[in-house]
Amino acid sequence: MRPLDPVTSKQRAAYGLAFFVLFVALWSWATFGGHVSKTFLANPLTMVQEGVELLSKHGFLFDIGMTIWRVLGGFVLAAIIAVPLGVLMGAYKPVEAFLEPFVSFARYLPASAFIPLLILWAGIGELQKLLVIFIGSVFQIILMIAVTVGATRRDLVEAAYTLGARDRGIIRRVLLPSSAPEIAEILRLVLGWAWTYVIVAELIGSSSGIGHMITDSQALLNTGQIIFGIIVIGLIGLVSDFLFKAFNAWLFPWKLA
Amino acid sequence: MTTLKIEQVSRTFPARHGNAPTRALEPTDLTIGNNDFVTILGPSGCGKSTLLRIVAGLDRPTGGRVTLDGREVTGPGADRGMVFQSYTLFPWLTVRENIAFGLRERGVPQAERYKIADAFIRQVGLSGFENHWPKQLSGGMQQRTAIARALANDPKILLLDEPFGALDNQTRALMQEMLLGIWERDQKTVLFVTHDIEEAIFLGSRVVVMSARPGRIKAEIAVDLPHPRSYKIKTTPEFVQLKERLVEEIRTEALKVAEHA
Ligand SMILES: Nc1ncnc2c1ncn2[C@@H]1O[C@H](COP(=O)(O)OP(=O)(O)OP(=O)(O)O)[C@@H](O)[C@H]1O
Ligand SMILES: [Mg+2]
Repeated sequence: MRPLDPVTSKQRAAYGLAFFVLFVALWSWATFGGHVSKTFLANPLTMVQEGVELLSKHGFLFDIGMTIWRVLGGFVLAAIIAVPLGVLMGAYKPVEAFLEPFVSFARYLPASAFIPLLILWAGIGELQKLLVIFIGSVFQIILMIAVTVGATRRDLVEAAYTLGARDRGIIRRVLLPSSAPEIAEILRLVLGWAWTYVIVAELIGSSSGIGHMITDSQALLNTGQIIFGIIVIGLIGLVSDFLFKAFNAWLFPWKLA
Repeated sequence: MTTLKIEQVSRTFPARHGNAPTRALEPTDLTIGNNDFVTILGPSGCGKSTLLRIVAGLDRPTGGRVTLDGREVTGPGADRGMVFQSYTLFPWLTVRENIAFGLRERGVPQAERYKIADAFIRQVGLSGFENHWPKQLSGGMQQRTAIARALANDPKILLLDEPFGALDNQTRALMQEMLLGIWERDQKTVLFVTHDIEEAIFLGSRVVVMSARPGRIKAEIAVDLPHPRSYKIKTTPEFVQLKERLVEEIRTEALKVAEHA
């Protein structure tokens, strides 16, 4: 091991997997070995059995589908509004001066604190869940994109000007492509955060979703189901992250070249 | 016909953090005629980039004005192509797309702009690299692409700011010959900044020597060496004589900088 020395992709996969194995081993040791009471923590085997039951008897697949749809719905709405605004803010300093203080303020408002208000305004239906995700994501995306676009290499902008580019050309053919990979990274990051908001939104006033299942299981002290739910969230996150990364790499080959 | 007139152009950078304002450029006059190849020679920090950026319209002079064919320069435009001191290819575009950038901004259809780009790719000797990303090119290849990118736009005047400054000697010599070849063939108006004396003489029809800070024009020397020039000219007595003269001029300037530092 030396600083910044790369590893091969095989080694990377092996190390990553090794941690999961270690994690499950520790968990098994704690539960099967009787070091932790069954009431507090189910063992891996029970967890899997409970999971199979959830999927086969309680329609957990539908819950998973609902949660995914809520995350994506709220996130896509936020992105549609936030990406153009962020680009405008990054490109035009007066727009930035106008919006930046408010967005910075709004960014620190915890989305979960809005849940009671949103229930009051939008009821406990789907709209309320989408709005929680929306509020949690939109300000973060705006601000991060504004910073990225604003940090575009000045020399590239100047080169484009000397080649006859006008303002529209600068935005569309310099600012946007140069920050596109970063924008994709920002979206990947914020999508991860959106998952944490959705579960909170589903813990309160919901009749479906992974978060709802977790509250139900809590009432029955079924730690196996709770852990299964959490692991499902983690797996979905892992898969979506992987897809996002692969998509970005495919979209921006010049970054890797 | 192209005439670039620099009239009493000066630039002072305002004071910052309690530092005194920087007088980067004293009032400067310079006229560049049609198909002139003028090289500006001066020590580091004497305001060469500042002057070139003002001509390009990327910076505004504190005093004086720049006119191109009688029209005052108020901002950057496609009529003044620029090759920068640093690497400024667009990393998300291939070599061919980079060279075609200016044409695209002008709305030239794709087939035509790629045809033009490919002609310039051949001229700067980059055939076979059309679809490479800038990251995959050496420094010399990147600067050749940057020159082709500026030329493809067919500007009235080409501004080059130490384009070969970061290259090794052999590559630099080859690039000088390539650029001079293009100029001898296509007759372009060129303003070329360098701190390399040999480069200034080899390329220029006129060498303008700038003095150390605050920058101003100290001397102007005509280079009456015949064209086409090959690298062999660098060892002729005429060349060596010119070089000695410029070495003296530059040396006194460099000494001044060292004393102030
Ligand atoms: N944006 C700026 N703000 C303040 N001072 C500046 C700025 N740009 C340049 N200067 C100052 O102006 C002077 C001339 O700089 P310039 O970049 O024109 O030098 P140069 O002749 O191109 O040097 P080099 O050969 O090293 O590129 C320097 O003293 C520099 O510190
Ligand atoms: Mg410079």
